[in-house]
Amino acid sequence: MNKVLTSFLSLGIMASCALAANPAITAVKVSDVNNQAEFKNIKFTTIALYPQTAIEMNDKKANALNENTKATNAQVGAMYDGKNIAIIVKWADATKDTQAGETSTNYSDGFAVQFAGITKGAQALPYIGMGSTGRPVVVHLQKATEKVYEPNGNNDVAMQINRQQTGVFDKELAEFDAKKASLANTNYTRVFVGEGFRSLTQVKDGSVKSDTAMSYVTNGWVGSIVRPLKDEYVNLSGTVPVAIATWDGSKMDRNGLKNLSAWIAVNLDGQKANTAMVADLTTDSKGDAVKGKAAIEANGCNGCHQMTAADPKSFMAPSLKNVGGYSSTSYLRESIVKPSAVVVPGYNRNAHSNTPWYNLEKGKRVSTMTDYSHLSKAEVEDIVAYLKTLKAEVE
Amino acid sequence: MSKRQLAMVMDLNKCIGCQTCTVACKTQWTNRNGREYMYWNNVETYPGTGYPKNWMELGGGFDAAGDLQPGVIPNLEADYGVPWDYNYESLKTDNPDHKHFQPHTSPTWGPNWDEDEGAGAFPQDNYFFYLPRICNHCTNPGCLSACPRDAIFKREQDGVVLVDLDRCQGYRYCIAGCPYKKIYFNPKISKSEKCILCFPRIEQGLPPACAQQCVGRIRFVGFLDDLDSQVHKLVNVYKVAIGLRPDYGTQPNVYYVPPTESPAKFDAEGKIIEGSTRLPIEELEKLFGPEVHGAIKTLKDEMKKRKETGVSELMDILIAYQHADMFRLDNNYYQDVAKEQKRTPLAPVDTRYLAGKFTKAGGHH
Repeated sequence: MNKVLTSFLSLGIMASCALAANPAITAVKVSDVNNQAEFKNIKFTTIALYPQTAIEMNDKKANALNENTKATNAQVGAMYDGKNIAIIVKWADATKDTQAGETSTNYSDGFAVQFAGITKGAQALPYIGMGSTGRPVVVHLQKATEKVYEPNGNNDVAMQINRQQTGVFDKELAEFDAKKASLANTNYTRVFVGEGFRSLTQVKDGSVKSDTAMSYVTNGWVGSIVRPLKDEYVNLSGTVPVAIATWDGSKMDRNGLKNLSAWIAVNLDGQKANTAMVADLTTDSKGDAVKGKAAIEANGCNGCHQMTAADPKSFMAPSLKNVGGYSSTSYLRESIVKPSAVVVPGYNRNAHSNTPWYNLEKGKRVSTMTDYSHLSKAEVEDIVAYLKTLKAEVE
Repeated sequence: MSKRQLAMVMDLNKCIGCQTCTVACKTQWTNRNGREYMYWNNVETYPGTGYPKNWMELGGGFDAAGDLQPGVIPNLEADYGVPWDYNYESLKTDNPDHKHFQPHTSPTWGPNWDEDEGAGAFPQDNYFFYLPRICNHCTNPGCLSACPRDAIFKREQDGVVLVDLDRCQGYRYCIAGCPYKKIYFNPKISKSEKCILCFPRIEQGLPPACAQQCVGRIRFVGFLDDLDSQVHKLVNVYKVAIGLRPDYGTQPNVYYVPPTESPAKFDAEGKIIEGSTRLPIEELEKLFGPEVHGAIKTLKDEMKKRKETGVSELMDILIAYQHADMFRLDNNYYQDVAKEQKRTPLAPVDTRYLAGKFTKAGGHH
């Protein structure tokens, strides 16, 4: 259905001023999300996507290309029927980059939609970067790839040979080529569950029935994902928190090199919204950012954290230079007073062995960050207000 | 660090650059399915550009503080070289489109593009030697440290570094992180692949294909903690085998006996300059660190001792009389590992190389 869907949707990227907090999105109620006649009812909302800079990866060229990446805007819309929800994302990208399966250094454009997973009891939202321990996420990933022959798992070992070693020639060789091409895999779509960066595991048993696609229109992509409202991983009703990420292949983006949104509240039209969550995700902190900046300096936060691009890079702790773009106020509050509630796993511990972000104590990750629960509520709120200002400009 | 470490020693004095190891590896593992361009084993001319092109300048590895360094991912066309193929169809005589028999692409670069060029001026002081390279199965692997998916692991039982192809998502940070550029991106399946130290052979009692096939018998294979293995003796007892570029901080487990012998230089008249040597010690120091001096001294002393007395255990080892002594694969150990993991251990294919620390006298189970 997605091919039809994306073919007639124009990109329609609107110029917009950077909003302090993302507005809530309304998912329109339709009779069938797979019925293309319903698409005209979708209302698109502008959402800002910020470059992921909590950690810096070790690819020199890619880092140079992403040195000054700005935030980008995406148009996000949603609809749902009794069984499924559809999220449509439109974003500008001047070049169509697909991974062609021929070279070692090209990367594809792509996008992902993240949902919060089912948790035991009431929990705060999962950490934006792939969830956190006890707060799982489900990530639907779609990448733009050309036909790639992927024999893994298909038991077609006889096809795993070089065409010149087939022992056949001419017409039989042409048949071999055709068969191999027919086995090629074109749709690079993945569903992952994760409880934090590095823990992401692909769902391969078909237990998530989803349909993901992306197609290139003039100067940009339209991507869509359709998934059940309920399965063993998620249970979506009322207000659905989602997060969006996009990758730009021309900047060698993949994995953590991406632009991502904060959690966005998607209200299922006609259902009772979760007002507390909507308020958390759509309203700004009431704190005083100027006082917050002073408090951050007084408490020495920048001893470990890179706060702005002007500060030196550090392996000690996540960089906060875009934290205001993709973190919710409730997450920031929690992280200041309970640093071990969500421990960003960060680097492979072997990569920067002298600066671990956490220690394992009785099997639990304990953040190396000092606990700032002694700060007054007002001080914390001021710091949160300042942290929310730390983000790249929107392109 | 793994419980045990299987290691390889390569004696550079004896490598003749015949590429038999390269071909043994290629036909076994990399002639198909997107791996065509990869050489898990290659033999390059040193000094030279190496494979991939200028790999020593592409970053990765660790600095003195133990922080992983950023690196560059080589390009298939420019740095590795496109493996070309021929238009065999053109050979058909009744082919109406009769074309010349030619490569499908015009090659501009490939492994050993600068083979045997070396450095210096011919004939006065030119020199080179061969440097065979496989994955170093490092104790502190750069590839493993770079992976954001935890898709690379080091086996507990023998320290072999492997890619979990199920977890690998083809991000390629491992390639940037490996200072030896010995992990490769398979563009067909969009995953990283690398030398596996022929673990399916090793577990079955056979040395890695590159070592078994080596006509110069330069390669020794054994566990570092097996006090009777020649690998242990060369690395830990005589200390004549040293890891390549120890300054990268990955603690490589392929060790090299540095080249000690090189011809004397010629003067302007083409006469031998007595006492001179073509191979600059600075180059060896760059490759193997300051310990190379001690290794060369030991080698020279033992050569002299052998000449004078006829006895030198080290020289006997380096002469490499018997494969059975060069390869101690401790196969019964692998059988015990299989049992521990509740798998059915298979009888070894070949029983010649069974011996090892954990192999009891009297054969295998």
